[in-house]
Amino acid sequence: MLSYIINRLFQGAIVVVLVSILTFLVMQAVPGSPVDLMIGKQKVSIEQRKAIEHKWGFDRPWYDQYFTWAGNLVTGNMGESVVRTGEPVSSMIKNAALMTLRLNVLSFFISIAIAIPIGMLAAIKRYSWFDYGSMLGATIGVTIPNYWIALMGIVLFSVKLGWLPPYGADSWKSYILPVFVLAFEEIAALARLTRGATMEVLGQDYVTTARAKGLKEKVVISRHVLRNALLPIITVIGYRIAFILSGTIVVETVFGWPGMGRLFFDSINRLDYQVVQAIVLVLSIVIVVVNILTDLTYALIDPRVRIR
Amino acid sequence: MSSNDKKRMADVFGARANRRQMIRGAAGAGLAAPAFAAGLQAAGAAGTTRFATVDRAQGTPKKGGTFVCLGDQEVVGLSPEDADPTVVWAVVCQIHDSLYEQDENNELQPALAESYTISPDGKTWTFKLRKGVKFHNGDDFTSEDVKYTYDWIMDAKNGSTRIGNFDLVAKVDAPDPLTVVVTLKAPSPSMLFNVGGTYIYPAKYHAQVGEKGYKAKPVGTGPFKLKEWNAAERTTLTAFDDHFRGRPYVDEFRMDVVPEASGRAAALEAGKADTTIWPLGPEDNQSIKDGGKFAYWDWVQGAINHFPLNNEHPFLSDKEARKAMMYAIDRQSIVDDIFQGAAVVADSNMSPAFKWHTDDVTKYDYDPDKAKQTLDAAGWTGSGTRAKNGQKAAFECIVKTGDTVRRPEAEIVQQLFKDVGIDMQLREEPSPAMLDGMRTGKADAALFNWTYGTADPDATNELSSGGANNFSHFKNAKVDELLKQGLTEMDEKKRIAIYQQIQQIITEEVPFLYILILKATTFYAKRVKGVPEKMLNGDNFIQKVYQVWIEG
Repeated sequence: MLSYIINRLFQGAIVVVLVSILTFLVMQAVPGSPVDLMIGKQKVSIEQRKAIEHKWGFDRPWYDQYFTWAGNLVTGNMGESVVRTGEPVSSMIKNAALMTLRLNVLSFFISIAIAIPIGMLAAIKRYSWFDYGSMLGATIGVTIPNYWIALMGIVLFSVKLGWLPPYGADSWKSYILPVFVLAFEEIAALARLTRGATMEVLGQDYVTTARAKGLKEKVVISRHVLRNALLPIITVIGYRIAFILSGTIVVETVFGWPGMGRLFFDSINRLDYQVVQAIVLVLSIVIVVVNILTDLTYALIDPRVRIR
Repeated sequence: MSSNDKKRMADVFGARANRRQMIRGAAGAGLAAPAFAAGLQAAGAAGTTRFATVDRAQGTPKKGGTFVCLGDQEVVGLSPEDADPTVVWAVVCQIHDSLYEQDENNELQPALAESYTISPDGKTWTFKLRKGVKFHNGDDFTSEDVKYTYDWIMDAKNGSTRIGNFDLVAKVDAPDPLTVVVTLKAPSPSMLFNVGGTYIYPAKYHAQVGEKGYKAKPVGTGPFKLKEWNAAERTTLTAFDDHFRGRPYVDEFRMDVVPEASGRAAALEAGKADTTIWPLGPEDNQSIKDGGKFAYWDWVQGAINHFPLNNEHPFLSDKEARKAMMYAIDRQSIVDDIFQGAAVVADSNMSPAFKWHTDDVTKYDYDPDKAKQTLDAAGWTGSGTRAKNGQKAAFECIVKTGDTVRRPEAEIVQQLFKDVGIDMQLREEPSPAMLDGMRTGKADAALFNWTYGTADPDATNELSSGGANNFSHFKNAKVDELLKQGLTEMDEKKRIAIYQQIQQIITEEVPFLYILILKATTFYAKRVKGVPEKMLNGDNFIQKVYQVWIEG
């Protein structure tokens, strides 16, 4: 077990390093330089531009820049943004990550708490009005872009009714709209998945056997169906957890929420290498770790899965 | 102005605006432009009257409250070095002052300077500074701060992005605490914009913390000082008690970041903010205008929406082909359909918002037949995509990734070109890549907005051979010479003639396809009083939040 974890962590470390080199190369391959955005519409001659590029080290070869970055990283320094120079990258990421986590963790638990019961109930009461109703709702939830839901939510609850703030992260009220919008899509996707997984399990022989030996339906569902149906759901939940930190650009943009999605998107757009690099690093570590944890969770839930 | 508009204006100003007062204010404080023409000694009078342009008809100023502005992107830093994006500038200008400031009508007004004199040869500018000005940390503002700031920018190893503004400056001296002498390599009429408009650092403090430290903890002479900076979310400033114009009426200035335009519009409509510094969509503009809770000002911007064309491309190098393309584009319908009327057709490289603009240029009204004839005459013939000596009339145009406005614009133009036998393919790229592609000549064409001369008409970087932003790789000896003359011509009438001549050459040579100039709408909530009647540049008024107060 321990050697398995160490082995997986070692593989993960290699993946993280490869991802960071790849990101660096991709960012370097994009034509243009962040200097363009620094200069903006200022009057700067070609020589003056070169001097600015030199000051920031963009005239150095990519591997040289990469090793400087990696060297700093070893000493715990994530480097500095070329655009937001007044703040270290580590604090930018920490602040953004905290904002995103608050939003995503909340909506994540709300959606699990709502979606799994709905999905299971829909599967058990298959072809009932509840099934049709909830799956129609789920289809709508998956198909309507959350951008639209977000804007309509603002128009209704902030502009017309004046109950909730249209943007910002000032009070608990600020969380309601973005959490709802995020959860809406999540619930829809997760409920459909749960229904499918449960229906598949319901058709299995061991469920028929359980019923045949006279177990109460409640026991059949909780002991046999739920546990088995959870496996594919956990895979998806693990996948979602891995991305819980990456934020959601749309919701963060519409609600002016200062999270990771926006930071990542903005940094890519202004070719802010150091920040992109640092975010990719953090995210890839999270994804690797969550993947390992997901695999371990399988073993906990399903005795058939054995880790060697 | 419709009667409805008049009514709205009346709502805003309570009664008829007192124009005379405003004009007096402007003339008293202003360096009226003809001062240049009149001679070499132009003295900006000391602006002793506080808030010279405040319209008293709006009631008695009240103290207190928070003024909230919405921005579209992160306030990446608080140093003047960071102030290129309008949103950042809107915060930086609250904290800092420069010797002269360009107001909402594109006129220069004295701020940290009281007056200036120019030597007969036009090369020595002597500024008299305002007395008794304090920095936020209590330090006195003196000529040493000005000298330090200018010297810091001019020192290439500091990597300042504003260094280009000081190209003509030879040296800066501070003979006494209230006098700054700037010696130029050549006379420069743009001096007050380029150098005079530079925000001043406190020498001692800036040297101590360095530029990097300064970005997070700026100290200026401006009406507001920093309280809290949270780049992606909110920047809060508080009124500076010892500001030289007097303490601002409002207690706090806040910049809230809401990147999505519709989100900003909703926040305005919900009454959560007083203004937005970055434009909204045309539909949102209309809806807020109709809502009646906001005073508004429509104005024409300075940037030209254009297709820069690589003039070294085998097809695009043909001047006649470029002219034909101008005839082929129905610019009015782009203004009407894509921009819903919130733009004007561009007739040269210069926006009509500025005094340098002339109407007396070669015009290209939409005429597809003339486009075809022009192409035929130039030897570009054939059915489908035209060709000449085996070279096809085809090129590729780059549009910024995810640009929901200019992408459809490019698609309309693509269709119009196809109708006359020109093949334009579209490709999306992020903006640094797009600019780089045009600069290096790797790209054929692109579609974006850029300025080719503003309140300061110089466009050396854009239009001179080999200029850093000469996206079209345009080379014209006459234009090079005129640009050079324009930099040092002190007589305003002659200077206007120079830039008008440049426009005439540009419209004759068509190095790029100038399409339109956006109109902008500036909104201020009606609870905000002390706003001017007229704004030629609504963005610029944000630097005068010190003169507004909040009613109710």
